[in-house]
Amino acid sequence: MKTRQERAIVRLAAPEWDQLREIVLSRYPNLEWASFARFGWRMTPEGLLVTLAALDPPDFGDLDYRVGNVAIQEPYSLRIALAAERHPLGVGVVHSHPRDCPPTPSRVDDDMDCYYATYFRDFAPRRPYVSLIVSILNGDIVVSGRVFWNGEWEPVARVLVSGGAECTWHPGEKAEQQGRARTERLSIAFGTEAEMRLRRATVAVIGAGGTGSAAIEALARAGVGRLILVDPDAIEQSNLERVHGSIPQDAERRRKKVSVGARHVRAIDPTIAVEALVGALPQEEIVHRVVMADVVLGCTDQQHSRLALSDLALRYLVPVLDSGVMLEGSNGRVTGQILQLVRFLPADACALCRGLTDPQRVAQELMPETERRQRRAAGMAAAQRGEVGNAYWRDLPQINTVGYQTTVAGAMQAGYAIGWIAGRFVPPFSRLQMNLVAPYLDITDVDQPPRDNCACRCFRGWADQARADALITAPMHWRKPRAVEST
Amino acid sequence: MNGERMDRELARLREGNQKVDLVVTDRAYVIYRDVPTRGAPLGLPEVTDVIVPVPAGYPAALIDLAGLPVGSPFLPRVKGGPNSQGIVQADGRQWQLASYHPHNGGGGPSWDQTRHGFHTYIDHLIAWLDRLA
Repeated sequence: MKTRQERAIVRLAAPEWDQLREIVLSRYPNLEWASFARFGWRMTPEGLLVTLAALDPPDFGDLDYRVGNVAIQEPYSLRIALAAERHPLGVGVVHSHPRDCPPTPSRVDDDMDCYYATYFRDFAPRRPYVSLIVSILNGDIVVSGRVFWNGEWEPVARVLVSGGAECTWHPGEKAEQQGRARTERLSIAFGTEAEMRLRRATVAVIGAGGTGSAAIEALARAGVGRLILVDPDAIEQSNLERVHGSIPQDAERRRKKVSVGARHVRAIDPTIAVEALVGALPQEEIVHRVVMADVVLGCTDQQHSRLALSDLALRYLVPVLDSGVMLEGSNGRVTGQILQLVRFLPADACALCRGLTDPQRVAQELMPETERRQRRAAGMAAAQRGEVGNAYWRDLPQINTVGYQTTVAGAMQAGYAIGWIAGRFVPPFSRLQMNLVAPYLDITDVDQPPRDNCACRCFRGWADQARADALITAPMHWRKPRAVEST
Repeated sequence: MNGERMDRELARLREGNQKVDLVVTDRAYVIYRDVPTRGAPLGLPEVTDVIVPVPAGYPAALIDLAGLPVGSPFLPRVKGGPNSQGIVQADGRQWQLASYHPHNGGGGPSWDQTRHGFHTYIDHLIAWLDRLA
């Protein structure tokens, strides 16, 4: 088999991953089983991203149950191939190896993959064929795989489970003492395997202001191997109270927030790879980078960003934790210090189902400055005529925040990201609000189910194959993103 | 702009025999051709072209406004027509945008990007050109 140097990343998410695991392990521990599945994909400069979108489980007689290994009957293959002519997704086979047998492809697996790669290409050309092998080694579920794409095989470098720990099979790798004094406490608390997972992980932080910079700092100190920082803005004087690592000269020189973040990370640990991107979601160049991350943290408190993050979670199966903070007051007294964390996992309701965005506010955030001025003027003119000017422009209150609030929010986000990556704990909420100055913090956990008819119920894991159903696209007037630093 | 979504919505309009074009200059516009009007009893044309801006970030941002060719006899008669929201150049013509906001308190349903789009906005345009002053 001719294998290319590029590496593919496979993303799996509940509920499809749970169902798939149940099917392929149904004859465990000694016998194998398999299922066909459908996959979305996106080609990025870093490699191919493949996302589990749907299952085509075997019916009775589709697999030969009399043999211990997987023997797929022709009618099953043909049914899947004919179905592929009617949908835009890639096709793949997922099968198990017996307990404690490593997920190394056998000669029979090689033959099967070579056969199917060309077989499905005839029915569904220009799509990836995905082959995954699932096994349980020493009690842990591990997955290996390869993808046939553009005429060559790409090995699967990582298998990420949205909202869970990575389950890539790393042959020959053993948890070893890293000997890193800085992360020793974390290693004692969560284990050396957790520390290794963090070193292998990439976290994207969208927004490098007060909240984002606090998250960046906590992630860097925890030893996350790679950080992608995204923010379009430069440091201003008023940011210095909140942004970790910023100094007055940054504001004087209008240094980009992502540059300040990258510098701070390097000061903490120069071995951490940092990519500092001036831009915003959902610009294509930013999406390319962010979809390859293990976890994404939303730290902008902007509604269009929230929509983009929700879209990433849904279509690309990226686990996201978004935050917002707000300071409320009246008559010189602080009455509320609100902190909100919103989890976007692929199976969670989207931002639209949860009513997290207001279309007019989103429109105002996204429109060009000239249109903003025009609409503000139209709104004022309407008010002077005694009319309600809301249709033209609605003034939004300036949301005030202070450094300790944004630090709490960012640190909590980083903590949950570490829990996800390490596989040690998960955010026990889909949406959490708390008021730092209310009795018992007035904590509210809101679990909002998806609407039955929402498009978000149809395109989970469809990646680029559901572009038409993206919740948001980048405005044409935004500046093209650029990388300011990369280490 | 979501090109795939725009293609899908415009295709649905064309399936219903609505002539429509996407014009991209410094920003994007949809031009609906020959939209029926209630102009005949007033001695006005029975159809007119209508321009609608594609909002930045669409479909996250709601579709808003509608425009007619500068000098159109419908401008003084349509809702929001006298209240110009600017002149735009597209498709070799100048268009005057009217203060028409069906999804933003102007009589239509609140914007829901999973249900609404340029393929449904045509209904608001037909209603707009049906209720002439």
